[in-house]
Amino acid sequence: MRITGACVGCGHCKAFCPADAIETCGVSKITDKCTGCGICKGYCAIGAIEEGP
Amino acid sequence: MKVAVIGAGLGGLLAGAALAKEHDVDVYERLDIYGGRFTNLPYKGFQLSTGALHMIPHGPAGPLARLLKRVGAAVDIVKCVPDGNIMRKDGGQISFYSFRGLLSPAAQAKLPVIMAKMLIQKSGTVADVVLNDPEWLAISDSCCGWALSTLSKDTPAAEASGILRHTIGGGPGKYNTPGVPMGGCGAVADALAGVIESHGGKIHLSSKVDAILVRDGKAAGVTVDGERHEADMVVSDIGHRLTAGMYDAKFSRPEYLAVLQKVKPSAGIKICLAAEEPLIGHPGVLFTPYTQRVNGANEVTHVDPSLAPDGMHLAMTHQAMRSGDVQNEIKLGLQDIRRMFPDKKYSVLMVQSYRDDWPVNRISSGFDLGNLTPVKNLYIVGDGAKGKGYIEVEGVAAGVMNLLDTLKVNA
Repeated sequence: MRITGACVGCGHCKAFCPADAIETCGVSKITDKCTGCGICKGYCAIGAIEEGP
Repeated sequence: MKVAVIGAGLGGLLAGAALAKEHDVDVYERLDIYGGRFTNLPYKGFQLSTGALHMIPHGPAGPLARLLKRVGAAVDIVKCVPDGNIMRKDGGQISFYSFRGLLSPAAQAKLPVIMAKMLIQKSGTVADVVLNDPEWLAISDSCCGWALSTLSKDTPAAEASGILRHTIGGGPGKYNTPGVPMGGCGAVADALAGVIESHGGKIHLSSKVDAILVRDGKAAGVTVDGERHEADMVVSDIGHRLTAGMYDAKFSRPEYLAVLQKVKPSAGIKICLAAEEPLIGHPGVLFTPYTQRVNGANEVTHVDPSLAPDGMHLAMTHQAMRSGDVQNEIKLGLQDIRRMFPDKKYSVLMVQSYRDDWPVNRISSGFDLGNLTPVKNLYIVGDGAKGKGYIEVEGVAAGVMNLLDTLKVNA
């Protein structure tokens, strides 16, 4: 998964990530713990998460 | 009548619940959850929130509580006692109502003039009302930042005057005391969703509205993920600007579009703390006028312990965003927290920022544009269409009540 520059850092993706693979502080960052399940995308408040590396 | 609601935030859910009793309501939500910035965000055993701080500004007697009751949404809202304290420079607390004791004699002498201006002044900003006095500004910035995510210099005096009248102008028994919804913001969203569904309405999650259909100048439905859904009325909870982008500009008015270019959202940062011991010690608001950035904090687990794991507390700070440098704003907020709670056992759970297309308010408080749009039968609810003189979700409720009055709905 990839977080675009539109991220505002609301934390939805971090809260719903089952792999604890997202860090949020101002904006969100996906760490190497990401499994690519895509759950974060459905919860992103502004559509700032895309599939892909 | 068939009603399409765009967005299942608090405004959309309130409007949907009120209209579902007499009408055929479909709520379309592009996310996988309903509640928008007013629901729970479960994280590490805590119930964080997507936006609001698990607090209803006017508690069990305010507009939101009254509208919830009116539509039949059962939510237990518990008064906060005390309602508000102020953190002194030495870290101790005093009642908000004793704020005068924090002022120098010279600043205290301005009290009669400032209070009179606060209640009657219709023009200018809160900074003008407090005569740009630095001691008063510290307190008014804390209040405006906590309640509205704006600073005194950006908060219209007329809006503050209305809020003050609703908050303390009526004295005890008016609206003054904030309250905590048992179960947090999510309990409110769940109750409203339950009302909508109990009347046969539907909430469609993961359903993005692409466009609003307009026929003969009237809203005629929406397209959702490319599929047309006819409706007699469309209620939008995504703000004026985004809504206007969903229909052909030829149906709008140039002056309306010009206003939309000028309105500004308000931005803020919330920092959620997992506390092994009470940091604040009560469920009311703790205003923090003597920090760099944090405007206030609360610890609602004194009312509802279920919002944190056993033996823990959830404390949340809020600060208006003073610059576009989000990382620096967060850094300064974290520094404040370390100074506010020295020697206490806590950790930072989550830092959440609200800006751009996911702001605190789509339109800063005091500049709300009301429910009407240039398109007949297309109405706006939520932040951006708040009732005048009300804080945040109370304003959302007041805005929905204004719409119900316009539509003559007896929910």
